Amino acid sequence: MKPKAVILRGTGTNCDIETYNSFKYVGAEPELVHINQLLSGEKKVLDYSIMAFPGGFSYGDDISAGKIYAVKMRKLSADFEAFIKDKRPVIGICNGFQILVKTGFLPENKANAQVSTLYTNDCGHFLAKWIKVKINKKSPCIFTKGLPEEIELPIAHGEGKFIVEDKTTMADLVARDLHAMTYSENPNGSMLDIAGITNAAGTCFGLMPHPERNFFAWQNPDRPRSFSAGAAAKGRGKPAAAREAVAAGYQFFKNAVDYVG
Amino acid sequence: MTDLLSTFTSLSEKELVALDKACGWSLNAAELAEVQRQFRKMGRQPSRGELETLAQTWSEHCKHKTFSGPVSFKSGGKVKKYKNLFKETIVKATKTLNRKWCLSVFTDNAGIVEFGKSGKWGLAFKAETHNHPCAVEPYGGAETGVGGVVRDILGVGLGAKPVLNTDNFCFGYLDSKKKLPKNSHPPERIMRGVVEGVRDYGNRMGIPTASGGIYFDDGYLLNPLVYVGCAGLIPVDKIGKKVIPGDLIVSIGGRTGRDGIHGATFSSANIDEDTSASAVQIGHAVNEKKTLDVLMRARDLGLYSAVTDCGAGGFSSAIGELGSETGAHVRLENAQLKDTHIEPWEIWVSESQERMILSVPKAKLRKLEAILKAESCEYCVLGTFSGDGSLLVTYGGEKIVDLPMAFLHGGVPNFEKPAVRRNVKISGGNPAKPAKSYGGLLKDVLSHPNVCSRHSVINQYDHEVQGGTVIKPLQGKYGDGPGDAAVIWPQSATLDLNDFSGFAVTHGFNPAAGRIDPYQMALHSVDEAVRNLLCVGAEISRTAILDNFCAASPRDPEVMGDLVLAAEGCHDAAMAYGAPFISGKDSFYNQAKDADGKEYPVPISLLISATAPVEDIRGAITMNYKEAGNPVYLAGVSRRGMGGSVYNDMADSGNNLISPLDMKAAVQLYTAVLKTIKSGCVCAAHDVSQGGLAVTLSEMAFSGGFGADIDLAGAAREEGLSALELLFGESPARLVLEVVKGKEAEFLKLVKGLPVNEIGYVKEDRALEVKDGWSRLFAEDILTLKKSWKRDLI
Repeated sequence: MKPKAVILRGTGTNCDIETYNSFKYVGAEPELVHINQLLSGEKKVLDYSIMAFPGGFSYGDDISAGKIYAVKMRKLSADFEAFIKDKRPVIGICNGFQILVKTGFLPENKANAQVSTLYTNDCGHFLAKWIKVKINKKSPCIFTKGLPEEIELPIAHGEGKFIVEDKTTMADLVARDLHAMTYSENPNGSMLDIAGITNAAGTCFGLMPHPERNFFAWQNPDRPRSFSAGAAAKGRGKPAAAREAVAAGYQFFKNAVDYVG
Repeated sequence: MTDLLSTFTSLSEKELVALDKACGWSLNAAELAEVQRQFRKMGRQPSRGELETLAQTWSEHCKHKTFSGPVSFKSGGKVKKYKNLFKETIVKATKTLNRKWCLSVFTDNAGIVEFGKSGKWGLAFKAETHNHPCAVEPYGGAETGVGGVVRDILGVGLGAKPVLNTDNFCFGYLDSKKKLPKNSHPPERIMRGVVEGVRDYGNRMGIPTASGGIYFDDGYLLNPLVYVGCAGLIPVDKIGKKVIPGDLIVSIGGRTGRDGIHGATFSSANIDEDTSASAVQIGHAVNEKKTLDVLMRARDLGLYSAVTDCGAGGFSSAIGELGSETGAHVRLENAQLKDTHIEPWEIWVSESQERMILSVPKAKLRKLEAILKAESCEYCVLGTFSGDGSLLVTYGGEKIVDLPMAFLHGGVPNFEKPAVRRNVKISGGNPAKPAKSYGGLLKDVLSHPNVCSRHSVINQYDHEVQGGTVIKPLQGKYGDGPGDAAVIWPQSATLDLNDFSGFAVTHGFNPAAGRIDPYQMALHSVDEAVRNLLCVGAEISRTAILDNFCAASPRDPEVMGDLVLAAEGCHDAAMAYGAPFISGKDSFYNQAKDADGKEYPVPISLLISATAPVEDIRGAITMNYKEAGNPVYLAGVSRRGMGGSVYNDMADSGNNLISPLDMKAAVQLYTAVLKTIKSGCVCAAHDVSQGGLAVTLSEMAFSGGFGADIDLAGAAREEGLSALELLFGESPARLVLEVVKGKEAEFLKLVKGLPVNEIGYVKEDRALEVKDGWSRLFAEDILTLKKSWKRDLI
């Protein structure tokens, strides 16, 4: 049976459809659910096996990125906590990572208190570009399993500077290899070049870059000669050819489905 | 003033004009007289609300009186009369071409063409300008410009899903030393505000801003031009809309406030020191995102019978337009307000953003309300589309407007405007010898504001949201090469990852040529757009284009002359390239005075936006060199003329000839080149445009991280062409191709008999060496060239 993935949205969520498409492609049964549907009791997160917080500007990112969405989740925190405790995969991408940080689910701590933040980029504005990130092979993160040491992903955020005020929290995070992903060239001023972090179980993962935008080889800005000239012409009209051309981002979603498989 | 209203039908012409100025209507004396005549006929005095409604509906912004009006054009002793300039040029070409893949043209909020192979989808495309607001309040003006054009796409047919935003800006040079009027902004401030406005609104809407351009010229010092465009996908069975009498008038999205009173009438006049910033609306992207989310769901469930956006003129235009055949009864007391201190007529004409008007059958209201609530989207039921053909607007018991729809939409008088051909001296002699080496000149041209990298702007836009921007504005080995066209794979709309249909979007724009020859400017702009589409491998035989004209005051016959010539150029180019216009817009009165009273009219500025299908997005190509050893070809003939070139802007060559475009030859050439791309012979293509051939060769090299050995001796050229014209001239219809090693024979067979010649090969080391037979033109390190080019504009 296909694992059910809940793609959580709200006002201003805007990467929900491509995240939905990505989960569908790797064999999940995704469903778009508005936070209002959870709050009204119409839907329950515990009915799903995978949870995703897609990118966007939830509630305009007013106050600070992801904050209002995080506050709305409070009423349902028992459900979310149970979901995470049950080690069901949770991925927060960009605004989704910001939400996980603002709720206190990441970095993991007993009180679910906010112990870090994602602050305005050092450059002072929104930045969208392709960057290289390093995968921490020692990390327990289930989403990054099987990826090479360095991959390319696009970033697109105004508030991506990861800051942890408390030195012990940061030392602990690093000691346990919970920093699953770091920037090869830091684009926003994040402490220790951190791009993504996980909980100790490796099942709750937040990252600023967008794996759903480097899902297929043809989403890369550098089109290889062989791809542009030959491979595409060969595969024309054959849906199967698409499966030969998945890129690094595909693995994140596939891993989640395989994990619950 | 109110007392003037109570005696309106007996006012003198002078009093009418004074009243118009005091109320900010921008109606001319003849129009005021027509309004007066109508009310005399009805035997009563008008209300403020009625006059406001007429001013909005009859404004240049809404009615496009100039372009669709009669014109008498004088050129070289001959006079040509037009009854409707727009219909006799642009619309005529579309009608004559009569392409069956055009699903909706010129009638709705955007043009629609067929998309993909499934037969299920249409692609809606529209571009607008928001110039006056951006001059006064750049950030808010740009934000609401984006918001407005996105609503056009939401309001076309029964609503399309936006999948791409475009932006084209014109500013004065950032380092301009000109003295500015007291209440104007320096160009850098305007540019920052505009970029930030487009960024903040587009990013929050979740629509990739992935195609556009920035153009500097001191003609835009006081009147920046801000063209914003949007493309969206619509199911073909949702293209038609029809208001059914008895339907409810439902406004969804934002509330109504006092922001944006008189936006439509304000854009129908020149800007001066008295221009008020309160005419600019305040944007709130999140409200529009909610509106989008509601509309897409409600559309698919068939919960409304028609939709349009509240743009210029607010409720008055939107409801007036939707109800033009049925009539409407509006109860303004039902409107949701931002501000309680607002007059009923202000509610009626306010241009507050993020509002869409739906025509909702009574039986479907409850279902619609459920979706609105689920998405936290505000709404109000404003009244009904009545079916009695009259427009009745009330507030409580008070009558605000009571007019027959026919008068509102048919009454506007139009008068013939005189037009003359501008007298421009053309010197076609040999260009003066440059003072610098060609290598030195190249670095200057690469760092020129109209050529250099746009990364500092592009990187602020979320140009890849929705995951479908497969050919990006920045591309190549380092992700920073300047692309010719964006290619969109709308997976977010089709939800089908096995459907590889896409579309390309690009632009052509050349006001520098327009100053010299507006007719050739139009030809060159269409050619540039088609060539850009070709460079990514799009189906150019299926090109659809948009026209967006910006000009100074139409009261100046020379400005009208420019317009006539450019419009004729549009017609001829559309016919030659087989590319119909599907939508368009015009903006006049882009003219202002500086502190010394000197007039700053913008040059005639025609933006051509173009789109064409990409059969399989996996086969689209980028512009950077891919592999050492591959041969490089130049397609097209290099012709004489330095007119309109970047070089001439930096150092006048004394030659201002605009090389005439041979469109027939261009189409023949492009058709063959497209075959070479589709057969996999070509792995990189880049057009020759601003800066000339030397810039094209540099960009292809440094974006791929390769050098090249180039010898132009074999390049096709017009007799007498100088080295300066060869390197920096901007004659049209040329592109550079990188051919895959081993596929040359196949390539040459496909371009047999055409001016396509080998000019060198890609090489591993970093030197770009260019010679012309025995004469060595320049040899530069590609990193040095890139350094000149890749500078931060802001």
